[in-house]
Amino acid sequence: MAFFSYFQIQMKRIDTLIRTFPLELVFWIGALIGILFIDPYGAQHFTLCPLENLGFHWCPGCGLGRAMSLLTKGDIAASWSMHPLAMFAFGAIGYRIFELIRHFKTTNHYG
Amino acid sequence: MANVLRHLPELEGMELGYIQGILKNMDDDQANLFAQVYRARRKDNQMVLILCLLGFFGFAGLHRFILGQIGLGILYILTLGLCFIGTIVDLVNYKSLAYEYNIKVAHETLSMMSNNTNYFPNVNTKTGDNV
Repeated sequence: MAFFSYFQIQMKRIDTLIRTFPLELVFWIGALIGILFIDPYGAQHFTLCPLENLGFHWCPGCGLGRAMSLLTKGDIAASWSMHPLAMFAFGAIGYRIFELIRHFKTTNHYG
Repeated sequence: MANVLRHLPELEGMELGYIQGILKNMDDDQANLFAQVYRARRKDNQMVLILCLLGFFGFAGLHRFILGQIGLGILYILTLGLCFIGTIVDLVNYKSLAYEYNIKVAHETLSMMSNNTNYFPNVNTKTGDNV
């Protein structure tokens, strides 16, 4: 019986941890860190893209990561020709991270 | 002290707890007004989920538009939901997205109610006497 209630308390703790885990924040920051480690000049590149791995070789988002990576290296012309939305993506994602951190207190705790 | 289950029985989870925290300082009339406005303005998390699923058919990012995140909406719709990766993350995360939006709406509703002079419906606002 004692073991069972201990188990329940642990389950509840894990449950709260999962529910309050800032998944989106971790995802966006992880994405930006991942982009810093891309080598945009290599001929072959490692890709996480599920569409690419399914065998489609083009989609409207192709090259966005490499374009953002080129932008961090200062190569604006190459970045634009790779994917013109790179600058916009940095803006939108940066703003979203800012918003998520700003609302972190209200969304993670009860009023 | 108003009970959230009486005024907004459709809420669940973290949102239920949060709104109960807001309603506990209100009487039943105020809570009724709050519930009417809040119910009309909040977004159901199932709608977020369904719009997110549309991302797999080429219309990605509609949920981001609905939740007022226009920048990310444009980015999603022009890149097929960041090549599906963004869509899949939002599919896992749809409840937090809806929750975040609804908390914002709840605070807007509260500040609107405190600006309104008819905030206390059964009190004469000029003299402060009970009617």
